[in-house]
Amino acid sequence: MTPMLTRLLRGDGAPEAGTGEDSGTGEVSGVGANAEGGTGTDIRTGTGIGTEPDTGTRRPPGGRLRRAAAAGVAAALLLGGGGFFYGAHELRSAEPVRNRALTDTEATTRVAGDVDNALARIFSYTPDGTAAAERSARTVLDGRAARQYRDLFGQVRDDLTEQGVTLSTRAVRTGVIELDGDRARLLVFLDQTSRRGKGDATTAAAQLSVTARFDDDRWRIVDIKAR
Amino acid sequence: MQHARAGVRAHAVHVLAGHRARPLPALVLVLALVAGGFAVWAGQDWYRAAHDDRAAYAVQRDEALAAGEQAVQNLNTLDHQDLNRGLDLWESSTTGELREQLVSGRADFAEQVKKAKTVTSARVLSGAVTELDDRAGRARVLIALRVTVKASGGAKTEKDSRMLGELTRAGGQWRLSALGQAPVGGAPAG
Repeated sequence: MTPMLTRLLRGDGAPEAGTGEDSGTGEVSGVGANAEGGTGTDIRTGTGIGTEPDTGTRRPPGGRLRRAAAAGVAAALLLGGGGFFYGAHELRSAEPVRNRALTDTEATTRVAGDVDNALARIFSYTPDGTAAAERSARTVLDGRAARQYRDLFGQVRDDLTEQGVTLSTRAVRTGVIELDGDRARLLVFLDQTSRRGKGDATTAAAQLSVTARFDDDRWRIVDIKAR
Repeated sequence: MQHARAGVRAHAVHVLAGHRARPLPALVLVLALVAGGFAVWAGQDWYRAAHDDRAAYAVQRDEALAAGEQAVQNLNTLDHQDLNRGLDLWESSTTGELREQLVSGRADFAEQVKKAKTVTSARVLSGAVTELDDRAGRARVLIALRVTVKASGGAKTEKDSRMLGELTRAGGQWRLSALGQAPVGGAPAG
């Protein structure tokens, strides 16, 4: 690129040097010097300076070619740059790269922790009532998950209190499947230990697919599917 | 006289030409410089994106998960009528200690399945990578699985299981090196 540019600079400089000599012959020789590097058009221009100075003779002929070349180079560079720009965009928006699960350790730990906590809180209650769990649900659930939870508790709330059921839920393993911007999908293995009245505790395994959305500086669960 | 006038005119023209010709090349020059700068920046940006460690890591993560899901499904699929092919697939999906166990127990296991005449198939419901050491070539996965066992009488039973798998990369391929059920009611872990 640099030699091209310097040649452009020199090309412009040459006719001016000719002007400095301030004579008709100097003029012609200046144009002639230009013409050496140029094409057949400069012959017409050369005579033009002598006789008809007003039209089409103003530009040194070699200059036009160089300008065209420079414009071509500029266009090529723009095109090439655009190609790289597009390529980089394609690379960054590729599926594996967009998914920040594990590649962004901090964000991955954060979403897994928030979801684990949320699940433990909304699926843990004592015979005294489900009020605490339902209160938690209002802050950590949203969308479809919130509706499902309300429907579910609307049906079982009274039975749970009557039968004196205690449930405690713990996330055993959590894997972040996908983390893209403010949305995440996770797979959570839960242990749910329940006790009815004074009976023995039984532990059941549950596998949930969870969709979470980052909203208001916290991850909220928007969808839960039992697996 | 004539000659001199022509000279003056020519000179004036040239001065004019000099003045008029200069801004255009300057513009072209600036354009070329800007274009060059843009090309260099875009090129570097592309190079960075193409050699991003995180991109390579993300690709390994996805490959490990795909291999893990496939391997866990393979190891929960077996047809008593096509034992050899099924067990070959088990061996090709695994590596290390797990593979050794499968190889050494193959004959006994084949005998059992032949007697029981079961057809086992599995479907991966969901899977996730929980750990990935890109350099060491080691990964851990969670897989939620639905296993269907068809007994000789034709009765079908379905069972959901949650598996923990460990993968090891060997020769550019991720293979299962350990597999077990996630314990229920055990001590808290990971």
